[in-house]
Amino acid sequence: MMNIDKLFKVAKEKGVSDIQVYQSNSNNLSINIYKGDVEKYEIAESSSLVIKGIYNNKMGTYRTEVFEDSLIDEIVDTIIASAKVIDSLDDAIIYAGDDKYEEVEGLYSQELTDLDVAKKIELAKKLDKQFYDADSRVKHVEASYSERTNSVLLKNSKGLELKNKANASYIVGEVIVNDGEDQRTGFDVQITNDFSDYDVDKFVNEIVEDALASLGAKPVPSKNYPIVFSSLAFATLFSAFQGIFSAQAVQKGLSLLKGKLETEIGSSLVNVVDDPFMKKSSSSRSFDDEGVATKHKYLIKDGVLKTFLHDLVTAKKDGVESTGNSFGGGISAVNLKVEAGDATLEEMFNSMESGLYITNVQGAHAGANAVSGDFSLQAAGYLIENGKKVQPVALITVAGNFIEMLKNVETVGNKLKMTYFGITCPAIKIKSMPVSGK
Amino acid sequence: MLLEKKLIEQLLDAGLSRGADFAEVFVEDTASTVLQSLSGRLEKVNSTKSFGVGIRLAKELNIVYGYTNSKNPEDLLKLANDLSKSFNGDKSTERAPLNELEVGKRHKAKILPSDVSLEDKVAIMKKAYKAADEYDEAIKQVMVYLLDNEQNVLIANSEGRFVSDKRVRVRCGINAVAAKEGVMQTGHEGPGAGKGYEYLLEEIDIDDYAKEAARTAITMLNAEECPSGVMSVVMHNGFGGVIFHEACGHPLEATAISKNASVFNGKMGKKIASDVVTAIDDGTIENAWGSANFDDEGYPQQRRVLIKDGILKSYMIDKLNGRRMKAEATGSSRRQNYKFAPTSRMSNTYIDNGKSTFEEIIADTKYGLFAKKLGGGSVNPGNGDFNFAVSEGYIIRDGKIAEPVRGASLVGNGGNILTKIDMVANNLLRARGMCGSVSGSIPADVGQPTLRVTDITVGGKRGA
Repeated sequence: MMNIDKLFKVAKEKGVSDIQVYQSNSNNLSINIYKGDVEKYEIAESSSLVIKGIYNNKMGTYRTEVFEDSLIDEIVDTIIASAKVIDSLDDAIIYAGDDKYEEVEGLYSQELTDLDVAKKIELAKKLDKQFYDADSRVKHVEASYSERTNSVLLKNSKGLELKNKANASYIVGEVIVNDGEDQRTGFDVQITNDFSDYDVDKFVNEIVEDALASLGAKPVPSKNYPIVFSSLAFATLFSAFQGIFSAQAVQKGLSLLKGKLETEIGSSLVNVVDDPFMKKSSSSRSFDDEGVATKHKYLIKDGVLKTFLHDLVTAKKDGVESTGNSFGGGISAVNLKVEAGDATLEEMFNSMESGLYITNVQGAHAGANAVSGDFSLQAAGYLIENGKKVQPVALITVAGNFIEMLKNVETVGNKLKMTYFGITCPAIKIKSMPVSGK
Repeated sequence: MLLEKKLIEQLLDAGLSRGADFAEVFVEDTASTVLQSLSGRLEKVNSTKSFGVGIRLAKELNIVYGYTNSKNPEDLLKLANDLSKSFNGDKSTERAPLNELEVGKRHKAKILPSDVSLEDKVAIMKKAYKAADEYDEAIKQVMVYLLDNEQNVLIANSEGRFVSDKRVRVRCGINAVAAKEGVMQTGHEGPGAGKGYEYLLEEIDIDDYAKEAARTAITMLNAEECPSGVMSVVMHNGFGGVIFHEACGHPLEATAISKNASVFNGKMGKKIASDVVTAIDDGTIENAWGSANFDDEGYPQQRRVLIKDGILKSYMIDKLNGRRMKAEATGSSRRQNYKFAPTSRMSNTYIDNGKSTFEEIIADTKYGLFAKKLGGGSVNPGNGDFNFAVSEGYIIRDGKIAEPVRGASLVGNGGNILTKIDMVANNLLRARGMCGSVSGSIPADVGQPTLRVTDITVGGKRGA
């Protein structure tokens, strides 16, 4: 590893007023099974160092995967050259630290790291086998187990030094089912760092049942329908619009939420929190990439917008404190959660004479405009009539505007699911949305 | 040399020591810069230096892969040995001696990113900002990004392959935001090439692209919501090719084909598209965004005719999926960087010129949607269902392009859309894209001439 003290010393000599390093070390393992065999086995170790330095009140950044001390001069010179061309009016801040950082428990499991790799291979093989055994219409399976350990060290010239170590494992199952007439897919991911959490039977059955139920799916006539989104579908949609909560987007006039603080942006049933201390989430953190302590907070409380997500620069501009949401060079939530309501899925279905249960939306990265809030996304699910699933539905688009949709939330489900988008949410019913099909 | 030849030989030997029948070493040294500005002010300069080594071993259909960013011979040998232990056998394959190092000769850059000062890079961005900002007073924000990338690779394998390649790419993106009465719309252009700064400094005028991004944003600001329903859609040339890329290109990759997981399995030599469709994936186009001298397994990139007059002619195949398919690789193996094992991927993929003209296609359409620009999209590889956003659209009425519409998306199925293309124009244009898949995010061109799809579901906010 690079000599950090030497880097700090050279930077100071060349006129860099403050400097910070963010060192990250990762170990990865992944096991892919195909038709009973380990098709791909992958192990990796990698490190990176992100160096930020302030020169003339502007911030230069350099990221390196080469750690020889001979690179130090080039790094410092590049930071200075970068700072010289930056003419943004934003402040450049390196943080001296908070008084207190929350302890986040259970982020790292030594047992997971120590568990014999043979057990991990066995789990992945079991997944693969059970998918095929579940039903003769399962024609293709991709099953895998992956694991990642990440250690982080943040150190700066203001004396701050923080460390974090976390690991997580996840299983992925993807199936293609075919009944001779139609072909559909099923997919899910489970993430945990407690190996005993894995319930292969449940995981496999849910994916296969869902895929089989969607065989024969076809579009429904174009019109407005009441819609129940599954947790996963709602999380997919929500993830496309996460960016509008960033104070950076707001300040730059790139968010529809500009000027909406303390106003109603959703139905009173909508409560959204960012919970950086959530259990069983490998994203949970006690500090952000700027060294600011993370905080639990409501973004939307009873339908009212309570706060934007801030880093040091946007907070200073708005005259507030950073919310500790500087991650990966931008601003993002740690663990977004839409709080549960009290309705069961059955109750939501029963409230619809004719409506849709949407379990899958696709193309969120393309069909959703985070600036205007408009979206038009490919969706699949079921037609619900008088509380019953009567027909699988596919090749339809659901269109709308994100804020209008939040205002039209009619019922919130009582069961939370942590999705692979890093968003935890229940099923949610929207009063009415335009659907185009046949 | 990124890594000593002797060390590479030792790594390959260690890889083969316990029964692997194939070993490969991929070494990468990459320098890249990303600059970002908002409203003419430079906000970020991120410089990155990457280095890493990826080692891949195979025994029949089983693959092990590992990577590290250590240069230390001991660490590398340990990685090769750890990987080889996945195979519990005795040495079964002799390593062929490494050939003379073959260095990529084409797709050269005249002006390397490292030879251009940050000031000169910023000047390109300021110029783009000014052109977009001055286009119309409703343009409220202009974001400009500039990125350059110089990737040096060294690839060696146990069959004697030993090549090195330098891939230089530059791209400048302009995002214009127009706003009026609480409504915001955006327009985007992102010219780029597989060459150096001569592209941005000498060959194109960035103003043209900046104005085009602004024009799209303004047009969409004044557009009505798109009606929904099933209709004829005329897709314009250039980025419209993303539909072929996503819905037909991905299912033609060996990643899907070798596992019998594609809608195009068993269709070789059969008709999968209407007669007017010929489609090509060409990684050899001089200095194109998705070109390279060698693929990431070290074999020469090729021009692949995928579909000829509607008949399926070729898949895109990498070496190891080729084993499963019992087929030759087509030089199609690519990866984002050393952190990914390579697999079959597209390069520059396009539908070739047809015989109609743009004017004829519009004149022949009584009612439909003219999708002048498409945004991104996605496809479910299992069944071919796809979804694309239309970023600039117009209604076609009585053979004429009429009012602009916004918020449209196209929904269909890759397996049957090819059979519904009934007219293809002669105005082929390629456009830059980033393609994400199992081996990471890679630069790839999409492209097509203007073409018409007879009926496709259009999703829009205006009820049917």
